[in-house]
Amino acid sequence: MQEEMEAHPPAGETQPPPGRQETTEEAVDIESLKRQVEEENQKAESYLANWQRAQADFVNYKRRAEQEKSELTKFTNAMLILNLLPVIDDLERALNTVPTALAGLTWFDGLRLIHRKLMSILEGQGLQPIEAEGKDFDPNLHEAIMHSEGEEGKVLQELQKGYKLHDRVIRPAMVKVGREQVETGEKQGQDD
Amino acid sequence: MAKAIGIDLGTTNSCVAVMEAGEPTVIPNSEGGRVTPSVVAISKSGERLVGTVAKRQSITNPDNTISSIKRFMGRKFKETSVQQDLKKVPYSLTEAANGDLRVAMGGRDYSPPEVSAMILQKLKADAEAYLGEKITEAVITVPAYFNDSQRQATKDAGTIAGLEVLRIINEPTAASLAYGLDKKGEETIAVYDLGGGTFDISILEIGEGTFHVKSTNGDTHLGGDDFDLTIMDWLCDEYKREQGIDLRQDRMALQRLKEAAEKAKCELSTVMQTEINLPFITADATGPKHLSITLTRAKLEQLVMDLVERTVGPCQQALADAGIKPADVNEVILVGGQTRMPLVQEKVKQLFDREPHKGVNPDEVVAIGAAIQAGVLKGEVKDVLLLDVTPLTLSIETLGGVATPLITRNTTIPTSKSQIFSTAADSQTSVEIHVVQGERAMAADNRTLGRFILDGILPAPRGMPQVEVTFDIDANGILSVRAKDLGTGREQKITITASSGLSKDEVEKMQREAQSHASDDAKRREEIEARNQADSMAYAAERTLREQGDKVPAEVKSEVEGKIAAVRSALQAGDVGYIKRATQDLSEAMQKVGAAVYQHAGGPTQGGGQEEPPPPKGEEGTVEGEFREV
Repeated sequence: MQEEMEAHPPAGETQPPPGRQETTEEAVDIESLKRQVEEENQKAESYLANWQRAQADFVNYKRRAEQEKSELTKFTNAMLILNLLPVIDDLERALNTVPTALAGLTWFDGLRLIHRKLMSILEGQGLQPIEAEGKDFDPNLHEAIMHSEGEEGKVLQELQKGYKLHDRVIRPAMVKVGREQVETGEKQGQDD
Repeated sequence: MAKAIGIDLGTTNSCVAVMEAGEPTVIPNSEGGRVTPSVVAISKSGERLVGTVAKRQSITNPDNTISSIKRFMGRKFKETSVQQDLKKVPYSLTEAANGDLRVAMGGRDYSPPEVSAMILQKLKADAEAYLGEKITEAVITVPAYFNDSQRQATKDAGTIAGLEVLRIINEPTAASLAYGLDKKGEETIAVYDLGGGTFDISILEIGEGTFHVKSTNGDTHLGGDDFDLTIMDWLCDEYKREQGIDLRQDRMALQRLKEAAEKAKCELSTVMQTEINLPFITADATGPKHLSITLTRAKLEQLVMDLVERTVGPCQQALADAGIKPADVNEVILVGGQTRMPLVQEKVKQLFDREPHKGVNPDEVVAIGAAIQAGVLKGEVKDVLLLDVTPLTLSIETLGGVATPLITRNTTIPTSKSQIFSTAADSQTSVEIHVVQGERAMAADNRTLGRFILDGILPAPRGMPQVEVTFDIDANGILSVRAKDLGTGREQKITITASSGLSKDEVEKMQREAQSHASDDAKRREEIEARNQADSMAYAAERTLREQGDKVPAEVKSEVEGKIAAVRSALQAGDVGYIKRATQDLSEAMQKVGAAVYQHAGGPTQGGGQEEPPPPKGEEGTVEGEFREV
């Protein structure tokens, strides 16, 4: 904001010679003007700061919105796939416990093919099983639900398969983890 | 610069929220979860784990996995509650020299605040990653019954985690803030908090914006987990009865049962019965065995009735301690996931004889309230900018009298929008910009805000000049409209002050009218579009025949001329269907012209220079700009 320039004194009035002391009135005026300028400067700084803040918030929000959008396309089906996993578990349980009488039937082969087809569709969507048995126990990938005698820190048995979807773990593998000799009197593993 | 976050540091789970653009938002953790388990561990390899990851390895590492540390915050070793809780946790606690508690983890001793600080550090880091900025300040919640020493311990935890704790607020107070109850004046509020592991009832009084805790009560070992266990027990008993097998002996079966029980419990909050279906749950000598049991809501309610009843006593005691009767309670709030259960909501309604508030996610409501408080505390330091919206759509009138919007209603201001328009007739040298406000499709049915003319447009075929129209509203609601001829650079503008718009009542009236006329308006708009399209097509066809006529066989040419005439008479007649059909016929006929021209163009030289058609006499001055997207 521009301050209005003081009007020039009309022609005819004598101007005070340069170097002469300013009158008290003018000094007061200048003081109050200086104060006003100071106030305006502070206001301007505050406006700038707030604007920068709002701009920064907006930029960050935009970045996040874009991230979320691209993640959304990748993971739209995540919920559905997650809900289908128990069904796949049960199907695999059924296939793995087929009675010997039926195992040799072509009909049973058909069931296996169906399972493969289902899995191949899901793999196409980015679903990947997590490797567990024999691996080192990793809580990022596995959830320990049993702790028994065995090689320390190794996954002894996979009790339920875990899955990743596009590199994100959507369900950890449920595993039995090994530990060194159980000492007598030690507390049992805790139920979660 | 920095935002302050609100943290619900819970016994079993923690949640973080922040104010963004005036609204509280829950911040997901690095794994994508909206809540983080309050579990810390040090793995065998010495790695520190916090949250879900720590929970997953708890069985393999019970001595070094710390959960429910909140139960030990700010307490002394010798306290009775500590001695009782000691027995229930798999990790070991010892007494420090001054009577404080120490917990052993990874071969070292930690104080409970240090352990809580590890949880807070993860929450802080995940929030920073999500928001993209450093976080240094937070508001943290604690139970209303926490004493000074427990509150100080929580504050210390924040400091250790690198957070300046702006305030420690009570969980029921935070929940009240989330429901906006601080704005309602003098009231008595009951907060019923049934979470995963604990039950808390608090009676608050609010007056002049400050909350006072009148009384608290509860049960420190009653929560949703108990409900799950009850269902699991019933399932095992039923199965034993039906099949003679005790599933409790099978760790994996129990795990599946636990998940199924929790899922069934949640489903029964919305449906009346659910089937718990677990094929191949176990096997015996005869082969695999399945579990398929139906659980009705009625049966569930029967099973958990005792648990729900256990909340009644504490509630009545809290009312007595506050010296009030249920009728004196003005508002009831539900907190904690378990309060989603209809039976629980019914019980609360009975206890306080009123409907409880339940709109906000009960798992997140405390964090949301903490975020609101954080926002208020930060707001005292920083200017909060309130922005308006423009209540009605702002448009200009285009060919046919249609209102073409530039700024739609409820757009936050200040804002600026531009669009390019053109002329409706050949050699049109000026356009009139007629600015209107309202929701109707036709400009005449809206309110005129102003008009002006931009002239000096060079003669050109219609649709060629480019006139950029810009609407600009500043923070005070003042609208400026500018029209600029992008060819000549000439521009004109007008400024319309806010007061020349409509009052609140008029705004609402216009909105109502727009709704009631919506279908009529839509039809009219369609009609005009059909007319405009017919007109454009006829004009383009005529022009093509003039320019390319020599390449077109005579029959085709006369067919097209016939169709053009048909379109023109359809426009005269005014019937929309007729206009559309005639336009379609003309379009098809034009294809033959195109085919002929391209066939003819076996050789080079496509007609480059096009003759300028002689400028038609007639319309000058105020003709509306033709709507055209560029």
